[in-house]
Order: sequence, then structure tokens, then C-alpha cells
Amino acid sequence: MFNLRAIWACMKKDIKTSLTERTFTIIGILVPINILFLMILFVIGGGYAPTAVVMNDHGPYARQFYQAMSGAHSFRLQQTSAREAEGLLLSGRIVAVVTVPADFDARIQQKQPVQVNVQVNNLNTDFTNDIRRAIPLSITSFYAKAFPNLVTIMPREWDAYAQDTDYVPYLSVSILVVGIMLGGVLQSGLGTAREWESATIKELLLSPASRWSIIVGKMLGALTIGLVSLIIVLAALILLIGAWPAHWGEVIGFGLLTLIIFVAWGTLLGTLFKNRTPVLALAFGTSIPLFILSGAFGPLSFTTPAVQLIAQLFPVAYAIALQQHAFHNFNLNTYGVGGNALVLVGYALGLIILAAVALRRSTLAH
Amino acid sequence: MDKYNTQIADPRQPVEHRGPAVEMTDLCKDFGSFRAVDHLSLTVQQGEIFGLLGPNGSGKTTTINMISGLSVPTSGMVRVMGYDVRREARQVRRILGSIPQETALYEELTAWDNMDFHADLFGVARKEKKERIVRLLELVQLLDRKASRVSTFSGGMKRRLAIARALLHDPALIYLDEPTLGVDVQARRAIWDYCLSLRDQGKTVLITTNYLEEAQALCERLAIIDHGRLITVNTPDHLKQAYGGTILELETSQPFAEVERIKELPGVKEVQQEERRLKVTTAGVDHIVPQIVNIVSQNAELRDLAVREPTLDEIFLQLTGTALRD
Repeated sequence: MFNLRAIWACMKKDIKTSLTERTFTIIGILVPINILFLMILFVIGGGYAPTAVVMNDHGPYARQFYQAMSGAHSFRLQQTSAREAEGLLLSGRIVAVVTVPADFDARIQQKQPVQVNVQVNNLNTDFTNDIRRAIPLSITSFYAKAFPNLVTIMPREWDAYAQDTDYVPYLSVSILVVGIMLGGVLQSGLGTAREWESATIKELLLSPASRWSIIVGKMLGALTIGLVSLIIVLAALILLIGAWPAHWGEVIGFGLLTLIIFVAWGTLLGTLFKNRTPVLALAFGTSIPLFILSGAFGPLSFTTPAVQLIAQLFPVAYAIALQQHAFHNFNLNTYGVGGNALVLVGYALGLIILAAVALRRSTLAH
Repeated sequence: MDKYNTQIADPRQPVEHRGPAVEMTDLCKDFGSFRAVDHLSLTVQQGEIFGLLGPNGSGKTTTINMISGLSVPTSGMVRVMGYDVRREARQVRRILGSIPQETALYEELTAWDNMDFHADLFGVARKEKKERIVRLLELVQLLDRKASRVSTFSGGMKRRLAIARALLHDPALIYLDEPTLGVDVQARRAIWDYCLSLRDQGKTVLITTNYLEEAQALCERLAIIDHGRLITVNTPDHLKQAYGGTILELETSQPFAEVERIKELPGVKEVQQEERRLKVTTAGVDHIVPQIVNIVSQNAELRDLAVREPTLDEIFLQLTGTALRD
């Protein structure tokens, strides 16, 4: 069934072809990295609402209130005059203006109510709602710090995991999986579809090599290029984002397993469509929805049952769960590492078989 | 040593070649409601150059695809060297060398890489691989361009490289789909020479073409196909005799009035008149030419006379009612 020489030949040929065609290299290697940076920029850029604070009082309580707002993780604060703030708001450069009144400290000391005016731009309701939520939070936080014997807030954090994980390192692990998915599908899918477009598939189909050997050889070629992409994305993740893996073996092993799944998926798509355009459209069209759907931002159990059901139909959810364990020791579902890995192995085998069957049944249109 | 000899001892298990090179029985291929090949039965003997002749869309390439196993017949049977194409596909592919119309070369790879890949795919013995590649690239005069990417090659060079590649695993049956399509006259001549040399080595060559000149120059036997059906199969000479005979082309000083007298002559198949020109197709019977010349001379001054064999174009037109390249 398997002819090692034919497998090696197909693999070598596909690697050479990919390397001689620059577009291929760019698509296969750089797109996953691009996705990584794009997503991270999206996360970083979208987090904080630009807000002007007009400090008409610079007393210790007013300054503490300012500090409380800073610590709310919702504002990007800048102190301005009332006039400057109005100009910034009108020109759309800030979302809100918070005015600390001149008698802030005096009224607090006299235990009288204080009115803090908040002027909010309604250009983007997401930012507006952020401000609405963050102001009361800042006030609570201010009182808790200013009058610890009056307002007591006792957060009791249950340390389910040894370390605290920031949002970006958490999210970037999911992005790694989507990067692997996109790189694998594009590398193998475009390579296979191109065989049909340029009619070189005849050279393969007319050879005495078994279809299994051809499929495995082609997939190994795409896997090799995809591996380069995986290493680069991984390096970016570790060196630039600072996401240090807890289990290196799992990162490599599950990364490879995920890559095998999507290389097989790409090969299947390329064989079925016989054209690069639908492969390209499908790869990009499915990667973002699957990324969002499959527990990229948090465990699937935090989402609705319908979303959970859909997500569990695709391997991305299991791959994300495994990589979160590999990087952060997280257990995002109840299947455990072994269960998730088994599901992925099932997907890999199933897709390889489907791709081989599709090629086996392939005939020419005329 | 023969300039075109490509045979090198093959260390693999020898393939047992039984029966005719190709045997098609009642072969049909449907694409939806369209029947591309219609109850085609043909036999190609080992060691001959056999031509499938027909206009575009006549079913030639579909037939070839079914022979090579690239397309599954709707009904009927194909055997190559005695092997059933459907059940013994791998054996068939091992003895088949194919040069498809599109050449199917990896354009972004070098000529050498293309040959090397083919050798590995077809299991050419490692110790002989390099020698064979050099020899075949030399044969098609591309050795000096072995390190060049195929994308830089002309149409003729690509075709020559495809021929060299197809011969690399020493196939017993070689098929060439429109071998000289889009190549210049010089390259065409060279390709014909390669084809003839293959026959001299005892290989069977199957050609599809819609160039009559090519079919005439290369093929020992021809099958004329139209609308997926076999119209006739025979040697080019026999086809000419059977369907054409002799053609007389005459030019007179004024339009000839007594065409009916010529038509009534025994052995005259067809008379076409175009002003002062007459074209008479005969069955090639003895003494017919002097009789026609006599009748014409009695009624008009004969300016020009030509006696020739019919072209395959004319035979094709007569057989199918359509021109070969329409």
C-alpha cells in the first residue's frame, strides 16, 4: 500500500515547488504570523476607552479617585482642562470627560454627597457601556481604599491554577491554533488544487504509485513547510508575547497533531474543489468563525449550549483545549488531555482516509 | 548505437505482455446525458503506431483517458497488454508512458527535477536513474538546459521534455495526445522522428491527432472517430484507396457544360464544378483518367490537369460529412 520512495519523492517535490514559488511561501508561512499579530493588535487596541479627566480639585481624595479610575482597566486617562476636554470630545478623540468638582475633597471630608459629572460620547456603544460600567467600579474602589473601615471589599480568589494568566497570553494560545489551521489548510489545499489546475495531477494519477503513497507524500511536504510556520509562530508567541509553555512536549506534539489534521483537511479540499480560489476562500472564511466559536476567549462551558454543541463538531475546540493545557496547565473541558488528544487523532485519521478516498475516486473531467 | 535507443535493462520484475497492446470492446462513456464515446471497439497490435483521428470533441482524449485509467468507462471493457484497466490498473500504469496534451510538467521545477521525480514515482532503479535521465535529456536535446526551470521553455521544448519523461521508465505502450499541438515545424519533425524510433524499438505508440499530415507520416493504422463513434479503421493507404481512389483536377478555358457525361462514367464517384474548374473523384479503376480527359477535350480547351491521391481531409469529409478541424 505504501511505497516509501514515492512518498519521499512526492514530499520532496512539494517542498521544492513551495519554495520556488514565493507566493506559496508567503501564504503558508507568513499568513499565520500575520493572523497572530492581527488578533493581538485587535485585543490590545480594543481594550481601553480614551477618557479626559478634568481635575478641578487636586486634594488627596481627588487624587485617590483618579488612581481608582486608573486601576479600573477600562480607561486610558489623560488630565486636561475643561476647555481642552470639550475640544477633544467634539473632535472625537476621546470617549468621555470625567469632571472632578472643585469641592470634591471638602465634601468627602464632610461626608456630603459629591456629584462627578461624566460626559459620554455615544459614537460607539461598546465604549459607552464600558464607561458606564467602569465609573461605579472606580467609585467603589475609591471608597474601599479611602475609607477601609467604612467600605470593605474582600475578594476571595480561589487559585485553581498556580499562576495568573493575562488576557493576551491566554488568547494568543488560541491564535496559535488558528495559525496552525490556516497555515496547514493553505499549504496543502493550494498545493493539491494547483496539481489539478496545471494538469500535473495526470503525472501522479498515471504513476504506478498507490494513491495512499501520493497522499501521504503530499501531506508530508505540506507538513514540513507548515512546521516551519509553526516554529516561527511559536517563537513569536514565546519571545514577543511571553507565553512560556508549561509542557514543551505537549506544545510540539499537539501542535504537530493539529497541523496533520488541517494539512489533511486542506488536501481533501484541494482534491474536491480542484481549484485554488474556493480553497483560499474557505480557509480564510472558516478560520475566524472557528477561532471565535471554539473557546478562544474562555472555556467553552462559559458559552451557550448551542455554541458548545457546534464548537464540539470541529477539531479547533479540542486543539485549543490541549494547547491551553500545554501552555498554562488549564483544563478547559472534562475530556482531559488524553481524551482531547484521542479526539484529535480520530479527526486526523478520518481526514487522511477521506483525502485518500477522494483522490482514489478522482477521475478527469473529460 | 542507435541514436534514439532508449532501452536500458530494467532490473524490476519483467512485465508479462499478453495479447494486443490495446483492446477496447463496446466502450461507452457518458457525461450526464452526453455520450462522449459510443460503443467503441478497437484493437491496437503490439509494435505498431496507431492513430486516433477525429475533430475536437470527437472523443479521442476521453478514449485515451479510459485506456490509461484516468476516466472510468460507463460500460464496455479496455485491456492494455492483456491487463484489465479497471482491475489491474497498477500493472497498466507501469507499462504505459503518457504524454498528455498539456504536458503535465512541473513548470516551477527544473527539467532535471521533473525527470528525477518521475523516476522515483515510477520506481526506476536508483543506480540507473542518473544515467537514464542524462541519456533521455540528450536524446531530446535538452541536456544543456537540465538546470533550467521548465517555465522558461518553449512549447516545443516542453513537449520534448514530456517525451523524455514518458520514456524514462521504459514503457511498452506510449500514448501521445496531440503530440505536436502548438509546436513549430522544426520541433514537429523532431517529435515525429522520436515516435518512429520508438516503433523501431518494438514499442507500441498510440497517437491522437487532428493533423492529417501527422497521421499520414506516422501511423501504420488509423481509426477515424466522430461523435464518439468509430467511423473506420485501416492503413492510411487503404483508406485512400477505399474512400478516395484517384482525384483529377482539371481547368478549362470556359465552364464545362457536359458534367453529366462524366458522372455517368463507370468508376466516377463524385464531380464538383466551380466555374472553369472540375474536381472528379474516381474509384481508381483503370483507364478512367484518359476517358475523362477525352470528354473534356472534346468540349473545351484543357488548360491544366492534375492527378493526385485524395488527402485524408477529403476522406474524412467524405466519411463524416464534416471537415476535420471545424
